[in-house]
Amino acid sequence: MTHFATDRLSLSLSPGQRSNPLVTVTAVHGGQRIAAANPAAQAAGIAPGISLADARALFPALKIRQTTPDADIKALDKLSEASERYTPWTALDPLGGFLGGGFLGGNSGGLWLDITGCAHLYGGEDALLRDLLKRLETAGYSARAGLADTPGAAWALARFGSNSINIAPPKNHKDQLASLPMAGLRLDGATVEGLANMGLRRIGDLYAMPRGPLASRFGGQALRRLDQATGALEEPISPRRPPPVFTARRTFAEPISRAEDITAALETLLDGLCTDLEDNSQGVRQMTLTAYRVDNSFARIPIGASRPVRAPDHLMRLFRDKLTDIDPGFGIEVMVLAALETNPLTARQMGAQQIETGDGTIQKSTENAARLVDRLTGRLGPDHVTRLKPVASHLPERASRETPAINTTKSDNGWTAPQNQPERRQSRPIQLLSQPLPIEVMAPVPDGPPVMFRWRRRQHKVQRAEGPERIAPEWWRTEGRPLTREARDYYRLEDQDGQRFWIYREGLYRPDKPPGWYLHGFFA
Amino acid sequence: MANGHSGGHMTIDHHYSAPLPAHTGVITNLRRQIQTIERGGGTVTACHDVISLGAPEIDAALPWNGLPASGLHEVFGDTAALGFCAVLLARLSQAKSGAPILWCHRGDALCGQGLQDFGIDPDRIIQVRGKNDTDILWAMEEGLQTPGLAAVIGALHKIPPIAGRRLQLAAEDHGVAGILLRSTRYGGFQANTSAALTRWRVTSAPSIPLGVPLGITPAFGIGPGINWGAPQWHLELQRCRLSAAQNKRDGLDFCRPQDWQVEWCDETGDLSVVDAFCDRPAEPLSFPRAAL
Repeated sequence: MTHFATDRLSLSLSPGQRSNPLVTVTAVHGGQRIAAANPAAQAAGIAPGISLADARALFPALKIRQTTPDADIKALDKLSEASERYTPWTALDPLGGFLGGGFLGGNSGGLWLDITGCAHLYGGEDALLRDLLKRLETAGYSARAGLADTPGAAWALARFGSNSINIAPPKNHKDQLASLPMAGLRLDGATVEGLANMGLRRIGDLYAMPRGPLASRFGGQALRRLDQATGALEEPISPRRPPPVFTARRTFAEPISRAEDITAALETLLDGLCTDLEDNSQGVRQMTLTAYRVDNSFARIPIGASRPVRAPDHLMRLFRDKLTDIDPGFGIEVMVLAALETNPLTARQMGAQQIETGDGTIQKSTENAARLVDRLTGRLGPDHVTRLKPVASHLPERASRETPAINTTKSDNGWTAPQNQPERRQSRPIQLLSQPLPIEVMAPVPDGPPVMFRWRRRQHKVQRAEGPERIAPEWWRTEGRPLTREARDYYRLEDQDGQRFWIYREGLYRPDKPPGWYLHGFFA
Repeated sequence: MANGHSGGHMTIDHHYSAPLPAHTGVITNLRRQIQTIERGGGTVTACHDVISLGAPEIDAALPWNGLPASGLHEVFGDTAALGFCAVLLARLSQAKSGAPILWCHRGDALCGQGLQDFGIDPDRIIQVRGKNDTDILWAMEEGLQTPGLAAVIGALHKIPPIAGRRLQLAAEDHGVAGILLRSTRYGGFQANTSAALTRWRVTSAPSIPLGVPLGITPAFGIGPGINWGAPQWHLELQRCRLSAAQNKRDGLDFCRPQDWQVEWCDETGDLSVVDAFCDRPAEPLSFPRAAL
């Protein structure tokens, strides 16, 4: 994108104002300098790199904004996400460094798209790129595209090619590169200048040069970039998001917007993807459906499963609750279903469902439960569907933790029967208050069990009492809020009606300060 | 009037009166069909999964000779009701060889160790926290439609009659037990009619203390503690759905509300009916204050 930063800022302006000169400035060495200039400003002679005062002298009514690299990157990221309609493999090309080279300066944002095997969906590479540029233009960005066998060559072609769409035929990129200026090799300004002083202005000039002297004079960088452009050296680029291994996509001849059509399309996609998964003995744990609308926006629905699945009907059920979140807008053109996380899932014999005894029933019941968890989590959120997990702590409120059920594939979390209790069972209440409630208690000093207490404006006379059970504070815990600083003496109490309470006294009795009493739970 | 007419009618009358007893089977069948259509006692009597409560008296008072494991049950009460539910859940889960339990509620934390004491494996619990009753009802219905579950328990404030009926149908169709826990601790509930098979009310009752005071160890001791015994509940069977016709025909008396004083034995997990006057001191024991 030739004027990415200024184009982005222009989006908020009215169409009439967009043709006025606009620049972004940044502070360099104590002075304000132009980082990016839109076409109108460049026409007025304002080039990136000159000082703000010079630019004002050239054009007094200049519109000035501060550079916002974060917002630029964010916008670029959004565009790259939107261009996933063409290929799952997209990456950002960071904005050209300010004052870095003589080329397009800080105003060029770029996107890498690996369209290997994707072009036929749009009727050829040329058609795909034209579609891409048209969409970018609709979105308000002027852009150029280059396509070649190597990323380096594509980079040079996009910026210095003669047309807005430059396609190097396969294995022909070296010839195409030869006539392009040296800056196309992604070199810094000093190197380009140094090469120019030696009379090397075109990339092709380097082809015949001996490599030794070049390397000793300009460092390995120049040669490395050259090799990357010609393909002698592999250039790995990390995609923005790891491309999913399994995807299914559908492009519609006519944009669709009816809910029934979306459901039907999703069913086809799921069928296809699940067949793929089955062939590879995989099951999906995370999946997203992305619907690309006509107006370049998209909607994405993620779903998750607690264990690998590849049953289309189950996945459809998980999607069904959320399909209403898709607002078709002016119509959906492309739908892409991607399996983001897969796990091995071996084929299961169909007859296993009929086994009524032994392992079969258990297997089936855990499977059913897992599906239930998926559905519940899909609607209520992972934090609301949980399993209890034991924690090695004597403090009752710490003794168990709720973990999202969808992440807990193992059903055996290691709850062991309480054996260390010397007394009978039922040492812990059936219902525990998440926060102990302070209550008024009448108890013999210094450490007798309560005789009477008030809770919820009612007086409870203690008829039976058991205890105390002393739970010492966990002094070794330093992180977080100290739950308790003093030892607690827990009593199990039964009042005149037979209601049973779990009450504790915090700390020991001191004549100057009566200890606090708390209600912490209820026994059945 | 028939006699006043021709003899032909007479023969027809005679013809029809004779084989009637032989057709009672047909009528019973028809009646059963109607009951099935009405979702009355028909399917329930056919239900083969029945769990015992451990107390023969209570089992016998239920028309299914136990509690059906596929159906909706409603339990009112305070913490004792929660305990009763825990007893039911433990038995339901055991009956299905440790199948999971779906526990839907809004706020208070479940205590894993406390549930363990009741014989419920906390690993088997899937906990759902709903933001409102709608979420809980939806989660319960989803759970009841999952045959792999042992039971679904939901703590609810209000149950619209249609929702209750939907839950009951789902429970019957998929063979999952549903328990509606309606806590009365923070205020009473108007018990409106619901589609549940049974309705219980459980309240705490004073326990019988163990004879030997074990509670306070001498290290801390200033006086002997009074140990509480096994928890005792007052259990009321308020409603039990069974078609009145069947009741009358069999000469049974199931629909009459009954109540028992029960004790829960923490070792066997059984409920047992306690004779109200057996082993009971004349007046409640008071806490000795000698040490004051």
